[in-house]
Amino acid sequence: MTALRKYSLGDIFGVGLIFAVGLFTLLLLVAPSIIVVIISFDTRAFVSFPPEGFTLRWYAEVFQQGELVEAMANSLQVGLTVTVLCILLGVPTALACARGRFKGTTALSVFVLVPHMVPGIVLGVAVLFAGALVGVSPSIWLQSISITVFILAVMVRTVQSRLVRLDPALEEAAANLRATPFQSLRTVTFPLLMPAILAGAVFTFVEGFDNLSVAIFTHGFRDRPLPVELLALVQYTSSPLVAAVSGVQIVLAIAALIAVSLSIGLDNVNE
Amino acid sequence: MMHQHPRTASKVASSVPVLRIGAVGKQFGATKVLEKCSLDVDEGEIVTLLGPSGCGKTTLLRCIAGFLDADQGDVRIDGQDMGPIPVNRRPVGVVFQSYALFPHMTVARNVAYALKMQGIRGAEADRRVAGALATVSLQDFGDRYPSQLSGGQQQRVAIARVLVMEPRVLLLDEPFNALDAKLRSSMQVELRQLIKRLGLTAIFVTHDQEEALTMSDRIAIMRAGRIEQAAPPDEIFDYPATAYVADFIGTSNFWKASAAGGTVPLPDGQRRQTEHSGDVQIMARPHNLKLAEPEAGEWRGHVQFHRTIGALIEYHVETSDGVLLQVATMRQERAAPFDDGAAVSLHIIDPTYCAVYPAS
Repeated sequence: MTALRKYSLGDIFGVGLIFAVGLFTLLLLVAPSIIVVIISFDTRAFVSFPPEGFTLRWYAEVFQQGELVEAMANSLQVGLTVTVLCILLGVPTALACARGRFKGTTALSVFVLVPHMVPGIVLGVAVLFAGALVGVSPSIWLQSISITVFILAVMVRTVQSRLVRLDPALEEAAANLRATPFQSLRTVTFPLLMPAILAGAVFTFVEGFDNLSVAIFTHGFRDRPLPVELLALVQYTSSPLVAAVSGVQIVLAIAALIAVSLSIGLDNVNE
Repeated sequence: MMHQHPRTASKVASSVPVLRIGAVGKQFGATKVLEKCSLDVDEGEIVTLLGPSGCGKTTLLRCIAGFLDADQGDVRIDGQDMGPIPVNRRPVGVVFQSYALFPHMTVARNVAYALKMQGIRGAEADRRVAGALATVSLQDFGDRYPSQLSGGQQQRVAIARVLVMEPRVLLLDEPFNALDAKLRSSMQVELRQLIKRLGLTAIFVTHDQEEALTMSDRIAIMRAGRIEQAAPPDEIFDYPATAYVADFIGTSNFWKASAAGGTVPLPDGQRRQTEHSGDVQIMARPHNLKLAEPEAGEWRGHVQFHRTIGALIEYHVETSDGVLLQVATMRQERAAPFDDGAAVSLHIIDPTYCAVYPAS
């Protein structure tokens, strides 16, 4: 009773408004995914809503269609390659930007950001022509590299912002406690950067797996990635098969998020 | 005794101080942060670098630790020039203001860190970690994470973490800043006793004069990149070398005078010897002044305000020529103090205990 009296009518209205806006936003974000998942179970052979029955037929078909399975495997490979490349290139770049004492650290961090600002289609076309110029034809590798260039900024920024928030005394303490610069990096800086690297890895993997705009120009003729395959699919058919593929992707994404939040173990990484 | 410091073994001739700071200078761009700072610190001595923020005390500490390179001068430990020695090979242990404990390691792993980096493992490492934790009374906290400890406990872990590597010099950068006021004073006494018990040589950095007076064998007062005076706390308080030091430490009364022929007249009619001549300023501590009935002397004034602090009475007196002074006297039982507004005469108890400085 006393607790209630602390809040005026205006407060209650305000909180209610915020709650309503939040709920609406959430709905806006989640509704398309939910509708897609619902459609993927429909018995009819064309996309429509609401569904008229329940079947797992489309899911079975996803895994029976050779091209789709192959496209998924290709996208998985691209996603993993992009992630590995982004970690290998992005973490040192972030260290250089945040800790470097040379001139041009700002220029470097802007430079990394540029490809991400360019529309993916422009980047894709540019890579295609540049590749043709030096005799590199589109392939799963060219696709991986061009998406890496496109998304590297996300890894750099994620790691860099964590680095900037780290107490610089931690690295000084390591040095004072007899650690060489490399030992300090390995035993103090990297473990503390791990949550940021993992978060960056999730973003870059999803981009590698799901990117269409860059991939459409750079993917190998025989190695179609999933987004390109799906585009072809929706162009020529309208069966809930596409929805089923999306359903698989949604399940994978949720699984990845759960895995990450479990592995980071939020209790040991607080500053 | 868990900590066998190699002090006795490595002790060079007794004339070589453990730490010698020789005319160290440092610039950041065009700003001179340190200028010709010189200081010798002897075995087992606790020296405090005291000064307002921006006076260069932390910069000097960072030059000793090796986080910064001095532009001029040198830092020597046991006679060895530290200039070419990188941070991770200097025989110093730093306790940071933020403690800088590694949040992803347990207390025991934090303390074992320096040993691990030197390749010391197994039974010897375990023994030394246990010893260091016992020294700071945290033997049961080895499995905790720093975030699970109180501020005072975190500070003790930070100390144990450097003790374990048996440094020649302990450097402490405002180590009490993160603690609340109540804990602070008890930790100060505790830490001083610990350092004394272990016979360590230590440099403290602080801006808190009470902390400096509690902790130090000697205080080095810093101002604008220079060391103004380095002396034991009592000497700093009783015989401040400059007007700045007198003003910075304790309460002080200043007034202007004119010296000639080797003496300077004091306003109550006495004289004090001085090597200065011309315009000077004289400083007297509040307890070197006393009040009497107005007719008892020629230096007159009236009480503006007074208060009793336990055994002490503090008077704020305005002299007839408009100078504000503080006078502190012991309270006599049953003797009534001078009331606010009362006319009084002022007297200097011991003229030799007044300081004379050239007029600023």
